[in-house]
Amino acid sequence: MEKTPKMQATNVHVYYGDNHAINKVSLDVFAEDVTALIGPSGCGKSTFLRCLNRMNDSIASARVEGKITLDQQDIYDPKIDVVQLRARVGMVFQKPNPFPKSIYDNIAYGPRIHGLARNGEEMDEMVITSLQKAGLWEEVKDRLEAPGTALSGGQQQRLCIARAIAVNPEVILMDEPCSALDPIATAKIEELIEDLRGRFAIVIVTHNMQQAARVSQKTAFFHLGEVIEYGDTADIFTNPEKEKTKDYITGRYG
Amino acid sequence: MSKNTAVHAPTVWGSEAMQNRISARYRKERRFRLLGLFAILLALSFLAILLFTLGAKSIGGFFQTKIELTIHFDRSLFPDLDGLNSDEASLALTRVDYAALIRQSLMDRFPDVRQRRDVRSLASLVSAGARQTLAGTVRQDPAVIGATQDIWFLASGDIDSFVKGKISRDVPESDRRVKDREVIWIDALDAAGKVKVGFNWGFFSSGDSREAELAGIWGAIVGSFLTLVVTLLFSFPIGLAAAVYLEEFAPQNKFTDLIEININNLAAVPSIVFGLLGLAVLLGFFNMPRSSPFVGGLTLGLMTLPTLIIAGRAAIKAVQPSIRDAAIGLGASPMQTVFHHVIPLAMPGILTGTIIGMARALGETAPLLMIGMVAFIVDVPESFSEAATVLPVQIFLWANSPERAFVDKTSAAIIVLLLFLILMNGLAVWLRNRFERQW
Repeated sequence: MEKTPKMQATNVHVYYGDNHAINKVSLDVFAEDVTALIGPSGCGKSTFLRCLNRMNDSIASARVEGKITLDQQDIYDPKIDVVQLRARVGMVFQKPNPFPKSIYDNIAYGPRIHGLARNGEEMDEMVITSLQKAGLWEEVKDRLEAPGTALSGGQQQRLCIARAIAVNPEVILMDEPCSALDPIATAKIEELIEDLRGRFAIVIVTHNMQQAARVSQKTAFFHLGEVIEYGDTADIFTNPEKEKTKDYITGRYG
Repeated sequence: MSKNTAVHAPTVWGSEAMQNRISARYRKERRFRLLGLFAILLALSFLAILLFTLGAKSIGGFFQTKIELTIHFDRSLFPDLDGLNSDEASLALTRVDYAALIRQSLMDRFPDVRQRRDVRSLASLVSAGARQTLAGTVRQDPAVIGATQDIWFLASGDIDSFVKGKISRDVPESDRRVKDREVIWIDALDAAGKVKVGFNWGFFSSGDSREAELAGIWGAIVGSFLTLVVTLLFSFPIGLAAAVYLEEFAPQNKFTDLIEININNLAAVPSIVFGLLGLAVLLGFFNMPRSSPFVGGLTLGLMTLPTLIIAGRAAIKAVQPSIRDAAIGLGASPMQTVFHHVIPLAMPGILTGTIIGMARALGETAPLLMIGMVAFIVDVPESFSEAATVLPVQIFLWANSPERAFVDKTSAAIIVLLLFLILMNGLAVWLRNRFERQW
């Protein structure tokens, strides 16, 4: 049976002023999969990712054409509330960026602005479960009032994931979440992604092809703003159809 | 080609030319460091000279000569207070000829002075404020009427300067403000232990006066405080709102560019121009009360606004963009992002800018001259609309006074102003450290 995609991009073009950054990209994101976007630097994979929750809106010169849907609903429709969209499509950034507040307040911020908790107990509950889901609870349960910025880099990134989870999104976008981390912290994040798979649709941008191979079920190879090849991760890495994909994953360029 | 090979001959690091080059480099660096050290020492020495001269002069302003007189509260000079209520009694007491009490006391001490003119100059040994001192004593305790009491009075300004040695005895009498007669009287009083120099508390509790010995700085301090309150309340919210809007919400176009250029230009406009603006608009158009802290505060507020906006924008711009991304990525609206994250993080910078701006406003004179805050005001202001003066203007006024004693007052007032400025800058540093240390 054909699965319905959670998010669907059709013929998406992105321009930064005169610069044509994304050229006619079509891509389906499925709810139960981790989708990896790979490709050399400057190929537009992060730009595409940021289109999925309209983070590009804040860049004045950016222009998006084409259609991106979330549950068959166009997210660039003027009737769509962008604040709600970003609650449904959460994001984790390249560099861990916890707020300079306590660990508790970092997690509680999202639920607080969206009014998700009716009282303090519910909020405590949300904070605890989010930290548990992000695999950080055991490490920080005794110091929830400590500043989030005092954690190690890997812990900070998991805190950011917990923060994104706390608003109960349907999709989580990750923009090279491990590029600022050491191998041990990276391994933990990858484990976490594996744990989260199925509960959230995950789209991850990565430079690291081994990582894409390890964590994802679908892989899209971007090159110069175009998707060269998109398919099951296993196929892309073992039996790519296109010559360019083959060259890239065998390390001939990029 | 052969030249090229010569250029690429192996470098001889031990050669004499190379060693000379290296030591020349070190010499250059040593010279540069010495130059820097010299510049700092020069600046420090000027600062030291300034503080030393000010400090030495201000001592005269902080201390005051007093003369003790034995006053007999002659009952015949006082009205009958029996049967009067307290209001009537105090009114009756204001009519008492206290000068006569002082004159009598001095004549008792110097019995050979009898001529009217001599008596008058004898009486002027003590300050004109001595009468108020006596009136106060009687008001506090009417039982003193009929009794005899030793009371310390402020010496008059010239006598004060003479006792402190600021007026020399060696100058010929015709060139001296304190005449030989007065010198003899003072020496006699001094020999009797009736002259002392004490800390001048009145300097910190009274307003301005034509008599140097009575002039105090409290009126100017209160005036400065009221003015700065208005300045802060006016310029901080507007400056912050403008900075936030320009930095976070305003579109980037020709119009906002023009605004930005104008704000930068306004920060460099001479302060007296803002005084003219206050004169024309606040006094001329809105008819606000002249010389009042309210108008002064608004004028200084206008002057501080550009500085505040620039400091605020710089602080907001310095907040890491990743924090904005984090908030927006969670679905915070732009305003929530700004108020929950950007402003709290920018606060140390904003506060520092504000306090530096306030310190500048505290030291500002020129614009206040234009709106009439230069008036001679004796009363300590009690509201924002009363006529008032401020510390730097007070200094300006005293510096223009010819009496020797006002020179000391000027230095003392400058010291007080400098202390306030140091205090405010210290507060700025403290606030910045405090807010930054939190995380």
